[in-house]
Amino acid sequence: MVDHVLRLKLALLTSSFRSGPTLNRTIAALALALAVAVAVAIVVLGATVDVANAEHRAGIVIVGAALSVALAITPLTSGLGSAMEPRRFASFPLSPRRLAVSLGAAAAVGVPGVLAILLGVGLESAWSETPTGGAAVVAGVLAAAAIILTSQYLVVVGIQLAVSPAARQLVTAMARAVIAVALAVAVTTVLVVRSGENGDTLVTVAGTLANTPVGMLWAAPGSDLAALLARLLGGAAMLAVLIAGWGFIVTRLLVSPQRERAVHHAAGLGWFDLVPATQAGVIAARSLIYWTRDARYRLVLFALPIAPLLMMLAFAIAGTPVPPLWLLPLPVLALFLGWFAHNDVAYDHTALWVHVAAPLKGAADRWGRVVPPLLIGVPLIVALAPLLALWSGVEGVLPALIGVSVGLLLTGLGVSSVASVVGAYPAPRPDGGPFDQPPTLGVRAGWSQSLALLATVAFMTPALVVAWWGFTEPEWFAIAGIAGVSTGIGMLLLGIIIGGRAFRRRAPELLDLVLRT
Amino acid sequence: MKPAAKSATGPAAKSAAEPAAKPVIPTPPMPVVLKAVALQKKFGAVVAVDDVSLSVRQGSIFGFVGPNGAGKTTTLSMMTGLLRPSAGQVLVGGFDVWREPIEAKKLLGVLPDRMRLFDRLTGAQMLYYSAVLHGVDREKARARIRDLGDVLELDGSLQRPVRDYSIGMVKKISLATALIHAPRVLVLDEPFESVDPVSTSQFVDLLRRFAAGGGTVILSSHNMDLVERLCDEVAIIVAGRILAAGTLDEVRGPTSLEERFVQLAGGHAAVEGLEWLTTFSD
Repeated sequence: MVDHVLRLKLALLTSSFRSGPTLNRTIAALALALAVAVAVAIVVLGATVDVANAEHRAGIVIVGAALSVALAITPLTSGLGSAMEPRRFASFPLSPRRLAVSLGAAAAVGVPGVLAILLGVGLESAWSETPTGGAAVVAGVLAAAAIILTSQYLVVVGIQLAVSPAARQLVTAMARAVIAVALAVAVTTVLVVRSGENGDTLVTVAGTLANTPVGMLWAAPGSDLAALLARLLGGAAMLAVLIAGWGFIVTRLLVSPQRERAVHHAAGLGWFDLVPATQAGVIAARSLIYWTRDARYRLVLFALPIAPLLMMLAFAIAGTPVPPLWLLPLPVLALFLGWFAHNDVAYDHTALWVHVAAPLKGAADRWGRVVPPLLIGVPLIVALAPLLALWSGVEGVLPALIGVSVGLLLTGLGVSSVASVVGAYPAPRPDGGPFDQPPTLGVRAGWSQSLALLATVAFMTPALVVAWWGFTEPEWFAIAGIAGVSTGIGMLLLGIIIGGRAFRRRAPELLDLVLRT
Repeated sequence: MKPAAKSATGPAAKSAAEPAAKPVIPTPPMPVVLKAVALQKKFGAVVAVDDVSLSVRQGSIFGFVGPNGAGKTTTLSMMTGLLRPSAGQVLVGGFDVWREPIEAKKLLGVLPDRMRLFDRLTGAQMLYYSAVLHGVDREKARARIRDLGDVLELDGSLQRPVRDYSIGMVKKISLATALIHAPRVLVLDEPFESVDPVSTSQFVDLLRRFAAGGGTVILSSHNMDLVERLCDEVAIIVAGRILAAGTLDEVRGPTSLEERFVQLAGGHAAVEGLEWLTTFSD
């Protein structure tokens, strides 16, 4: 039984290099090249790392944790099409227990499995010939097994989420993004360790990670005896839970029906029942449906939190003290959320004719389109700002944080209301994937994108400068808050008036633009 | 019978000498609800539509026929405010489509060719969307969605997203989208393309009833039989110019519309150029 499943797995592995579209083979080759590079890096680092050095030990923990996350998620990146999912074996007369064992073993075969094992071996080689070498062997084995099993859980979860082609693309895209971030973290860490500076930050980050499931096994060999035992026991317990849970999940999946996208048969009109029956109202409802259902918008919603966090991470690793950095994510998120709408009209593609053929007031079109980002952004800012202000430890910063964030969002939307008319450029088509780009993007796209971003920041500069003064004299924070909100409201109104006029005048030309793409 | 739609004036008329004088039957002429004057569209140096003038009277069904690429869609787009003309004027109910777009577009119902709908919306949502954009209130919009669903036999599909519809179903929902605000003038670009015969006859009945009630229809089609059956007036457009326009009888003369069309469009010449096709390679 086990060898049958293993043979199937090997056949699947080789088949990705056999025939098929050149592109697929190229991607498979590139992925393999990346895997080989990671493998070589693990071996080299494992051999050269000096465990007597605290910074090197911290590096092991951070890199180990980052690569664990990346490896666990790797099976999701290949599109789930040929994933070894328990339910695929439901029609065979197999006992769930044997299937669970076979699938677990099969997961160890294949690129992520081999790399996970290699990662464990790397830890062992780093600690070999030290007193805790034996503990390193145990930790490495436990970690590799935990990564492999976790990846199986993620495959199951991914398949549960991927009920439609668009959702499947989204899962794959997100998995790739997470891996990119994790690899970036690993590479940055190695560079920082080699530079020999900012060792304290590394040690702090590693110390935090060491107390989480992703980091505890990597930290175990470098801990004192009590912590070492606790971490190894924790790792063993984690693996035991994973194993028991795996058997349970395989059993459950084999007898539960396939999850399909729920088909809506409600008689209502959804969002349209909740908005006023006005032009701006229905356009807002329609925009909300697109923001929540269209992969192009959803990708942005998922990606939005990543950019600010990455920025924070970069600053933190570069040595900026962490607490004030908590002030960064919200304004950055608000800026990008407002900015994202700068090409909204082109996202309609040729369906824009519905607006052009109707006796539509330009401002109504503009108002409707800014509702989804406002509904997402403003509550998010108001809810998160107190927490982030608290974490930042900066006295009295809350009004400035709220005001500047709201101001950036509203100003961005005002700028976008004009930009999406006068600076529209070809956008991904509604039926394509979120990463598909139109063939003729042109220089116009670059200009639009950068000018919209620059204009938003420029309009908000006064409020931002006042907020900056607040760090020396805290009474400026309140003024910055008022300045931010007023700038935002003013710019949004102005943008909608100007953008509305421009839309009424240029709507046929916009339709012409989308028709040509 | 009075020539309801004048043949194209100006240089376009030179190739189509239509006898204008016919015995006049004394019916009071209906007012002109759609009038195009010397419409022209250039794409760079290419003149896609040149000097097209038309008058369509209330209550008539006007057929716009021409070979592929003759400029039908371009002309209809300019009439409905979707494509800015390089020159010329379009009046709908006396309002200039390009100077007073809000007033003119209230009177127009449009079905463009090859343009998508907001296809993440369900059919019912799409109809409601179009209704409210045209100023219909909530209750009226709901009642009309039900009625149109019944008449076009869409009711089973109205709760499904438009992206799941077949091409024929999309045409139906597009027609319903054009009708839902009860426009005075319907402009339909290829409404019968990829529509099955049963639905086509539904469409035809619906359009006849609409016209009998005082509505006006302008439609383009490749299907000459259908145009002959449905339309009171026709215009033949070839290479961006109107070569013949008038009542159906005036345009087709003693022959069928199809023969007249092929004759004007120069189809025979093209076939004559392919003598090698009958030399058979064996």
